[in-house]
Amino acid sequence: MVTAVAAAVPLGALLAAVAVLLVEALPAIRYDGWHFLTGSAWRPGNYYGNPVRTGGVLHPVGASYGALPLILGTLESSVIAVIVAFPVAVGAAVLVVEKLPRRIAGAAGFCLEVLAGIPSVVFGLWGVLSFGPWLARDVYPALTHLPNVPPLDVFHGPVGAGEGLLTSGLVLAAMIVPIIAATTRDLLRQVPETTKEGADALGMTHAEAFRTVQVRWVRTGVLGALVLGLGRALGETIALALVSGTVLSSATSIYGTMTTVAATIVSLLDSAQTDPTGLAVRALAEAALVLLVITLGVNVGARVLVRRSARGAALPIGAGF
Amino acid sequence: MRAPAAVPAVAGGSGAPGRAPLVIGRRRRAADRLWWSLCAVALALVVAPVVWVITGVVQRAVSGWSWSVLTTISTGVGGGLANAIVGTFVLLVGVGLLAGLVGLGCGVYLAEIARPSWRTTVLRSASEVLSGVPSIVLGYVGYEALVVGLHWGFSLLAGLIVLSVLVVPYVAKSTEIALGQVPLGYREGGEALGMTRSHVLRTVVLRSAVPGIATGVIIALAISVGETAPLLYTAGWTNSYPTAHLLHAPIGYLTYATYTFYDDPYPAVRALSYDAALLLVLLVVGLIASSRLVVHLSQRYSPERSLGAGRRSPRPLPAGTAEAGVAAEGTGSL
Amino acid sequence: MQPASNATQKDTSPSALRPRTSGLARVGAAALAGALALTGVTAATAVAAPVRASAVGTAARGGLTYPAVERQLSAVETPPSSKVSLLETGSTLLYPLISVWAAAYGKIHPNIPVTTAGTGSGTGQSDALSGTVQIGASDAYLPPTDPKTLLNIPLDISAQDIAYNIKGVPQTTHLKLTGAVLDEIYAGKIDNWSSSVIKGLNPGVHLPNEAIVPLHRSDGSGDTFLFSTYLDDQSPKGGWVAAQGGPGTQVQWPSISSALAEQGNQGMETACKSTPGCVAYIGVSFLNESIKDHLGEAQIRNGDGQFELPTHAAIATEVAAYTTIPTNAAESLIDSTSPSAKNGYPIVNFEYAIVNEKQPNAATAQAVRAFLAWGMDPRFGSTGKHLGPVYFQALSPAAIQVSLDLLGKVK
Repeated sequence: MVTAVAAAVPLGALLAAVAVLLVEALPAIRYDGWHFLTGSAWRPGNYYGNPVRTGGVLHPVGASYGALPLILGTLESSVIAVIVAFPVAVGAAVLVVEKLPRRIAGAAGFCLEVLAGIPSVVFGLWGVLSFGPWLARDVYPALTHLPNVPPLDVFHGPVGAGEGLLTSGLVLAAMIVPIIAATTRDLLRQVPETTKEGADALGMTHAEAFRTVQVRWVRTGVLGALVLGLGRALGETIALALVSGTVLSSATSIYGTMTTVAATIVSLLDSAQTDPTGLAVRALAEAALVLLVITLGVNVGARVLVRRSARGAALPIGAGF
Repeated sequence: MRAPAAVPAVAGGSGAPGRAPLVIGRRRRAADRLWWSLCAVALALVVAPVVWVITGVVQRAVSGWSWSVLTTISTGVGGGLANAIVGTFVLLVGVGLLAGLVGLGCGVYLAEIARPSWRTTVLRSASEVLSGVPSIVLGYVGYEALVVGLHWGFSLLAGLIVLSVLVVPYVAKSTEIALGQVPLGYREGGEALGMTRSHVLRTVVLRSAVPGIATGVIIALAISVGETAPLLYTAGWTNSYPTAHLLHAPIGYLTYATYTFYDDPYPAVRALSYDAALLLVLLVVGLIASSRLVVHLSQRYSPERSLGAGRRSPRPLPAGTAEAGVAAEGTGSL
Repeated sequence: MQPASNATQKDTSPSALRPRTSGLARVGAAALAGALALTGVTAATAVAAPVRASAVGTAARGGLTYPAVERQLSAVETPPSSKVSLLETGSTLLYPLISVWAAAYGKIHPNIPVTTAGTGSGTGQSDALSGTVQIGASDAYLPPTDPKTLLNIPLDISAQDIAYNIKGVPQTTHLKLTGAVLDEIYAGKIDNWSSSVIKGLNPGVHLPNEAIVPLHRSDGSGDTFLFSTYLDDQSPKGGWVAAQGGPGTQVQWPSISSALAEQGNQGMETACKSTPGCVAYIGVSFLNESIKDHLGEAQIRNGDGQFELPTHAAIATEVAAYTTIPTNAAESLIDSTSPSAKNGYPIVNFEYAIVNEKQPNAATAQAVRAFLAWGMDPRFGSTGKHLGPVYFQALSPAAIQVSLDLLGKVK
């Protein structure tokens, strides 16, 4: 009986969270309407004036909440992270499984665990104090000399001081690499020896065997891990509050400062409390709701994807860690 | 382990020991080399951030290190981190108890008590979905519901509950998996001795699942140590040591110091930010290492059904244990 | 919230700002005269009486003087004899100072332990309202629509500095800028340091042909409130600040491609250092760092048309000009046009304690009154020793009087 109650805790917590967010966000949803998803201005209005009532919602004069730049920033930085992390994670996993002696593979595995375990605030600190400035000084200027043809032309533009979209994407990549790499490694270890032997017998090099044989065994699971990594990147908060620049507008170039939904919630929740009408706090609830919908969609998608594959190994649970 | 190829081989090639590739053209060989080089670069790119982050943190912290950081409380203009260290341990103990018990119950129910049905599917899925909820969302909900809604104020309990909700899925999952790996023979043996089912569960099954459960709890603690977003608006922050009050008394913790102090105008305060980062890294690495130790010891003393053995098996695992392999060492082994 | 954030004072001597830690002590009574802020030379100790007494014309409310208000402060400073624990939370800008107060106060009155936390002004306000804490620290005064039982009590004075990074302009030059020019810079209408408008204000200064990069705060910040208030004040025809809804802790910045946003004062500082051509508004607490980073510090035009640096004297003069502070202390100190603020620095603000006038019991109320009075007292909490490191400045006698009246409501 006690255990049944315990088993209901996750479901209860989930439902309670959704309920709290919905109740909190309702006035903001009524006030902002669809404009919340399409508008680009995040403006709390004048707290010192007399509040007015629009559509039954009391709000400061001039208040207007459009979360589009936040949503775009969330998606853009996460996509960059996945594009960078995916090949790195898979390559590393292949090397660990196929080539390295067990002892070294164990050390690499420990490295992965540590990488996964480093708190996001420490990643953020590293990003804002070391990694970002280094990128802006030594890497980004070189990138701007890439040929000015698509898609490389995205690297043209002012490089800034190291806080911004690309830095955010790269820091996120470091954070999600362990999720993808660990899963890929475990999946590769489950590829039956017989299939490898078959490839050997056919005289394939490893690269060829990987491309033609092993990929088939692991691709669904790896794809699932990738989507799960995406889920984690989308919800990452503190590291991005430190390295995104937290500007309430979209990045004007790949180096440009930007923000994400999660970083906005954490950086504005305090000052939002000074809105005498409370609308600013509720707008953040609406933002949290949007974030919840996005990340849940991605996570559920990842799990469905993996479950449907016959050989899929399980995903690590959780986008956290 | 692999059968040597029947065809005459050319040395070189790639592959595991014993592998004897066929004669391959120069181009294909070059492609193979390129492939391995790229993999090596990838591994370097995985290892580099670990090394850089850790050395960076150590360097910054060590250059101004003073042992008094561990023994004095923060003053707002300097001081130490003793209040945050104690607060972090209080949170850890609390999360270990709260999330540990709830997660254990949850895992036991799903693995041992409930009959598989749509209901268990829903409960299990909810747990997985919960683990994907961004921590800032839980933090916001905790703030609105507990701190403001229930008038708890910034408090230990609010922080504890939010953190625990965050990590319960990890404990539940590893418990469920560990229980699933207990060999049927153990239960049969127990029942053959006339023990009741619940007695078998308590004395035999749970005991042999302890390493797996412990690993899950340790991973949950490692996650808790590193969280910032869910605590900022629930646990708050204070310069003082934690009090005996669960409510209305904020509590300090290390991630706050790192996040908030790094751009303080006082150099002494900025130094605390780096010190806190170092302590965080040490704690997390220590927890991860101890989870490995648990796995290692459990393998040594019960080779038959150690948690790790499954995942290292060279053969494909049966469907059920595949999942176990991944999760046994924690979230994805990460 | 508003006002905010940061600032603090510094005493720069007219020529170069030299970091000071000196005592700032109490500024002389109001008045101008530069009130005195004691520069490094006048040690805090020395300061006291002579300096204040000599302050020139003080004006404030019927010629209030420090000795007069200090007598009243003393009367409030007796804490209850029972043990009362106080909780403080709020502004991260005030956090260091209040923490220092808490430590010092705990030594004198061990029965009144004060626990502090820097969680942000917004939290300070809402926690004080909900009764979670007795003292909320805020860089901003409260909106008029907040519950009337919530008081904002001035504790100290802070200021904001306009920094820039222009190659070839030495730190000792102190470019002259006006609110209207800054308004146009942030709107993108003036986009180069060699603009004729800027040259016109700074004859004799060689201004390079360099693009201007305006920096603003990305987080909700009292600094932004102060700065946008100043721009708005100095743009009588209505600049973009008015057009987007007036000053605020967070405003809709004109969208110009060169603009950058940064989190926190430190972010502004770091970005300005690494961005040639930048201009930024930064709390004076960071002045030392600005100087170290070779950033320039602008003389900005006050309401009287004079160009001033945020020196102790100029800040004190500005504050002293507010002789009629509203009884609720909800006063923006930006850009006074009073003749007595002729040499005042225009971007100055109060740092507030937010206190609910209804405390749970008489002993708690007494402890709150005693602690806050002690903190703002130029003889105790607000000596140069305590305020120097954060560059805050003590209240003028007129402001102390207002704070005293507000403290009296805390029951």
